[in-house]
Amino acid sequence: MKNTQQQLPHARIEQLIIRELEGEALVYDQERGKALCLNQTAALVWKHCDGQTTIPQIAQLMEKELSTPVAVDAVWFALTRLDKMHLLKEKVELPSAMAGMSRRDFSRRVGLGAALAIPVIVALSSSASATTCLPAGSACSSGAQCCSGICVGNNTCA
Amino acid sequence: MMFVPPRNCTSRGRLVADSLTGAWRHSPPAPELSAEELELVTPLLISAGAAAVAWWKLRQSNLRTSAAAIKLQQEYKLSTLEAAVHEKDIEQVFTLLRAEGVEPILIKGWAIARLYPTPGLRHYSDIDLCVHPDKIPLAESILSRPENNKYFVDLIHDEVDRYYITPWDELFAHSQLVRLGEIDVRVVGAEDHLRLLCIHLLKHGVSSARWLCDIGLAVENRPADFDWQRCLGERRQADWVACAIGLAHQLLGASVKNTPVADRAMRLPKWLIPQVLKRWESTDARYLTPYKYHAPMQNYLRRPVVALKALRHRWPDPIEATIWLRGSFDELPRLPFQLGVCFSRIAKFIANLPVAGRGPLA
Repeated sequence: MKNTQQQLPHARIEQLIIRELEGEALVYDQERGKALCLNQTAALVWKHCDGQTTIPQIAQLMEKELSTPVAVDAVWFALTRLDKMHLLKEKVELPSAMAGMSRRDFSRRVGLGAALAIPVIVALSSSASATTCLPAGSACSSGAQCCSGICVGNNTCA
Repeated sequence: MMFVPPRNCTSRGRLVADSLTGAWRHSPPAPELSAEELELVTPLLISAGAAAVAWWKLRQSNLRTSAAAIKLQQEYKLSTLEAAVHEKDIEQVFTLLRAEGVEPILIKGWAIARLYPTPGLRHYSDIDLCVHPDKIPLAESILSRPENNKYFVDLIHDEVDRYYITPWDELFAHSQLVRLGEIDVRVVGAEDHLRLLCIHLLKHGVSSARWLCDIGLAVENRPADFDWQRCLGERRQADWVACAIGLAHQLLGASVKNTPVADRAMRLPKWLIPQVLKRWESTDARYLTPYKYHAPMQNYLRRPVVALKALRHRWPDPIEATIWLRGSFDELPRLPFQLGVCFSRIAKFIANLPVAGRGPLA
């Protein structure tokens, strides 16, 4: 059986536009047209996924950077999230105890009082899209959605 | 006389202004809003594309952890990413055009966003370029190639062609090269840009508060050798520019100290600020969208009830009407300007009717 701890996770950077903002990483995936925000924990794990560093080594590096204990489980949890968002070149094989772990399970496992924030990756979407008007011929449910201001009988913007 | 609008919960336009006062500065003044007021005004800030800069203003205040502030912060993050994407696109578009002998000048968008404390503070969605009039067809053909469809480039600008009245060569001579990533991009000169931003703002009836932030930023960050005479241009345009700066001063607290427009900035016509605040109170997409994106009136010819509604939505904004008819911003009623625009549109509509008759509706 493969030693999961010795895997060398490798971050995908192709087709990504990345910006660091106040410790977080903002990522735009050009391939999927998705905008993501990685909190500091997830961003640090991702940064250390250079294809040459093992998972326990990543935890050690993070401990040094954050001056706080970092459980290897936190790195695993971040890797599951990174993988789900297509931010790794290759899928990492999870230890059997970690497979299918939810955020709640993870919190329970590492302890709610842990100094390290739970690795989180959220998709960014704009509330402004709801107020962008629809051109003539688009499907609509009210006049306010249409550039013309008129949503005609067959639910189409005039 | 300076207009002091009433500050109450119903004046949502005023709250938009308060949320953005000095927001373009490195250290903006602390917001003077309650959490409830911020909640009320957040959808307006988002729809005006001013969420990121509003977040910048309140990021160090007690409001920063409120639900409304988190929404604004989310927009800021998104805008930061969008800025990164746009910057890449701008580099590629400049490289593409230059490869075929077209040297563009960048206006609005990144040309102003680069002056904000961080690039994500100024939301923009397309790349506005000016090219030599003789090169427009070539630029259009380059950009319309299938592989270049992904770039949202606008080459035609009313404020340059219809109102700006500055010969291309002069615009080019005063432009400057600035670094963007791996290349130098040509941006419009500071004086021309401020004039252009002011005319663009008024041409669209000051519909977006973020454009007024641009004016505050451009005035306060003008270079030491800023040539006001060049910026203001001829008398009528000079007054338009002064009024736009006056709006930035009175509504958003832009400093007009040591400028030749300081007096005019304090004396705006009484109808102007209430009109802007009224416009800012709406999140309705049709008030935020230029007329050119509305469906043509010909579409409604066979639907009289819908046509009446469409006509109501086309009733000209008083500021837009003033600019359209090259009027001045004085105390006179705006109705004649609005009627003037209506007549001119009706005349244009009638002139186009035979063409419409041959179209798919015939």
